[in-house]
Amino acid sequence: MTDVVVRGLSKSFGSNNVLKALDLLVPSRQFVTLLGPSGCGKTTLLRLIAGLERGNGGEILFGENRVDHLPPGERNIAMVFQSYALYPTMDVARNIGYGLEVRRIPKPERSEKISTVAKVLEIGHLLLRKPKQLSGGQRQRVALGRAMARRPDIFLMDEPLSNLDAKLRSAMRGELRRFHLDLGTTTIYVTHDQLEAMTMSDLVVVMNEGIVQQIGTPEEVYSKPANLFVAGFIGTPPMNLFPATNSDGFLKVANTTLPIQISSDLPRELVIGIRPQEVSVVSTGEPGAIPGKVWMVELIGSERLIEVEIAPKLRITAEVRAKHRAAIDDHVAVRLDPTHLHIFDPVTGKALSA
Amino acid sequence: MKTWVAALLYAVLSAITVVVCFPLLWAISTSLKPKSEIFRWPPTLWPENITFESYRELLFGGAVASAPGAGVPPSAYFLDWFANSVIVSVGSTAISITIATLAAYSLTRFRFWGQRAVPYIAILGYMVPSVIFVFPMFLTMVSLDLTDTLLSLILGYVCITLPFCLWLMWAFFRGVPIEIEEAALVDGASRLQVFRQVVLPVALPGIIAASIFSLIVSWNDYLFGRVFMNSMENLPLTVGVMHFFDGTHVDWGLMMASSVLMTLPMAILFGFMQRHLVAGFGAGAVKG
Ligand SMILES: Nc1ncnc2c1ncn2[C@@H]1O[C@H](COP(=O)(O)OP(=O)(O)O)[C@@H](O)[C@H]1O
Ligand SMILES: [Mg+2]
Repeated sequence: MTDVVVRGLSKSFGSNNVLKALDLLVPSRQFVTLLGPSGCGKTTLLRLIAGLERGNGGEILFGENRVDHLPPGERNIAMVFQSYALYPTMDVARNIGYGLEVRRIPKPERSEKISTVAKVLEIGHLLLRKPKQLSGGQRQRVALGRAMARRPDIFLMDEPLSNLDAKLRSAMRGELRRFHLDLGTTTIYVTHDQLEAMTMSDLVVVMNEGIVQQIGTPEEVYSKPANLFVAGFIGTPPMNLFPATNSDGFLKVANTTLPIQISSDLPRELVIGIRPQEVSVVSTGEPGAIPGKVWMVELIGSERLIEVEIAPKLRITAEVRAKHRAAIDDHVAVRLDPTHLHIFDPVTGKALSA
Repeated sequence: MKTWVAALLYAVLSAITVVVCFPLLWAISTSLKPKSEIFRWPPTLWPENITFESYRELLFGGAVASAPGAGVPPSAYFLDWFANSVIVSVGSTAISITIATLAAYSLTRFRFWGQRAVPYIAILGYMVPSVIFVFPMFLTMVSLDLTDTLLSLILGYVCITLPFCLWLMWAFFRGVPIEIEEAALVDGASRLQVFRQVVLPVALPGIIAASIFSLIVSWNDYLFGRVFMNSMENLPLTVGVMHFFDGTHVDWGLMMASSVLMTLPMAILFGFMQRHLVAGFGAGAVKG
C-alpha cells in the first residue's frame, strides 16, 4: 500500500519561500486533509506531490520509492482540480476514460470502466454531453469520475467543493467520505474550510506559512491544539485567547486571581485559550468569576454569543443557550471551565501543560 | 421592440445590403452578357440573352488554338493564374498558421525574456502598411534569386499575415486554462499528446479564424504579385486579370467572369466556416 512521505521539502517562487523544509507522513488508505488559510502553500504542496511542480530541496516518497524525479503521468496519482479542468472538446465519457485511453487500455475494457464509474457517480445519462452542457455539480462529478476511473494509488484533491453552492457542498462531503470508505484509496485533500476538514478526514494537517503546524485527528487538533495558530484557526466561533499571569501557581486574569491551580514552573507571562462553549456567564460577585460588562450580544440560531469586556480592550466570548438573556452594558461575570483551559507560551506560541 | 423601429431597421439594413451586393450582382450580370449587350444604353440590369461565352473562354480557352501570328490570348492563362493563387494562398497560410500556432502556444506557456513584448511588437509590425516593405523585400528576393517564383510570393505573404495570426492565436491560447493540460499530464499523456489531443482541438476555432484571415489576405493581394512576378504563367489571379485590359480596351465580359470565379472560393469557404469564424474572433471565450 502507498504511504506518502514528504521529507524536508522546500519550494520557493523567486524570493517567496512558500514551503519551508516541510515534513509530512500520509499513512496508506487514509483520508488526509491539508487545512490552512489561503496562500499558506497547500496547493503548492499538492502540486509537488503530483509532479506538476519541482521542489528546491527535500524528497517525496510513495511507499519506498522516491518519486520526485518522475513526471506526473508516471506517479499513478489522480488529481481533482479546483476548476475541475475537464477537457472542453471531449464528451463526458472520453473525459473519464482519457487516462485509460493514453495508457492504451483496449476500448471494451475502457467502456466498461467508464460505465462502472458513471453508475457509482450517477452520471450515466450525461456520458455524451460536453462539459459546457453540465451544471457545476455535474462537472464536479465528472472530474471525480475521471480520477476514479484509473484506479490510482493516490487521490489528490484541491478544494474540489469550493465552487459548489452550500447545499450541494454538504451533500458532496458525505459522498466523498463514502467513496473513500468504499475505495480505500489514500487521499490528500486540500481545503481552507475547517468544516470539510473536520467532517471528512482521518487526519488533519494544519498548515500556515509553508509550515506544518500540527498533524492529528480532527478530534486532536480541536481539543489539543499544539500552538496558538492552531488554537485560533480551528473552531467556530474562534477560541478566546488572552494574556494571563502565573501568580504563584494560580492563574490571574485582568486583576482577578482565579481558583485555578497551575504548575508554578510555568513562566510568569502566559496566554490562555478557552473555547466560547466552555465559558459561562454568571452574575457579578460569584466567587471565581471574572467581572466585566456585556459588550455585544449576537444570536446564532439556538445559541447566543455574549462578548464580555473584562478589562479595557480585553473581551471574552461566551456561547450560551439562546434563552439566556443579556443586554449590552449589563454587569456580569464570566467563569472559565478549568478542565478545558489551554495554556500557551506567549513567546514560542507552543502549548504548555498546566 | 416597437414595430416601426423594427421596420426602420429592416429598411436601413436592406439598403446597406443592396449597396454592398450591387457590385457583385452587376459583375455576375455583366459576365453573363454577350459582348453586344455589355455597352448597350440604357444598360440592362439582367442580360436579355444569357451566355456563358466568357466563362468558356476562361476555363477552356487554353485548349483553343489561337489564330496564327496573333500570340497566346491572356485568357489562355486563366487556369494557371488560378492555380498559382491557390498554391500561394494555401502555402503561405499553412506556413503562417503552423508558425503562429506553435509560437503563440510557447508565448503563453513558457517563460522567457521578452515573452510579453513579442505579441505587441508583432501586432505593431502588422500595422505598418505592406507598401513600405514590399520594395526592400523585392530586393531581398532579387539577391536570393527568387523573383518570379511562387516561393517569393509565399514568403511575402507569410511576412504580412504571420503577425496578425500570431496575435490571434496568442489571444486564443491565453484563454485556454493551463489546468486542462496539467490534468492531461496527470492522466498520463505525453507533452505531444497533450498538445494534439487537448490543446489543438480547443484552439481549432482560432486556427480556422486565422486561416481564413490569411487566405483572404494572400488571395486578394495585388501589390506583391505585381512587384515580384513577371512571366505570364507565374502571375497570381489578381495581377493576371489586369491583362484583360490591353491598354486601349477592356474586355469587360472576361474581367467580370474572372471576378466572379475569383470570389467563388472565398465565398464558399466563408459559408462553411462562418460559425467557427465568430467563435474564433471572440477569442478567450473558451471557458470549460
Ligand atoms: N506559479 C507561481 N508563481 C509564483 N508564486 C506562486 C505560484 N504559485 C503559488 N505562488 C505563491 O505561493 C504562495 C502559496 O500559494 P498556494 O500554494 O496556491 O496557496 P494555497 O493553496 O494554500 O492558497 C502564495 O503566496 C502564492 O502567491
Ligand atoms: Mg489553493
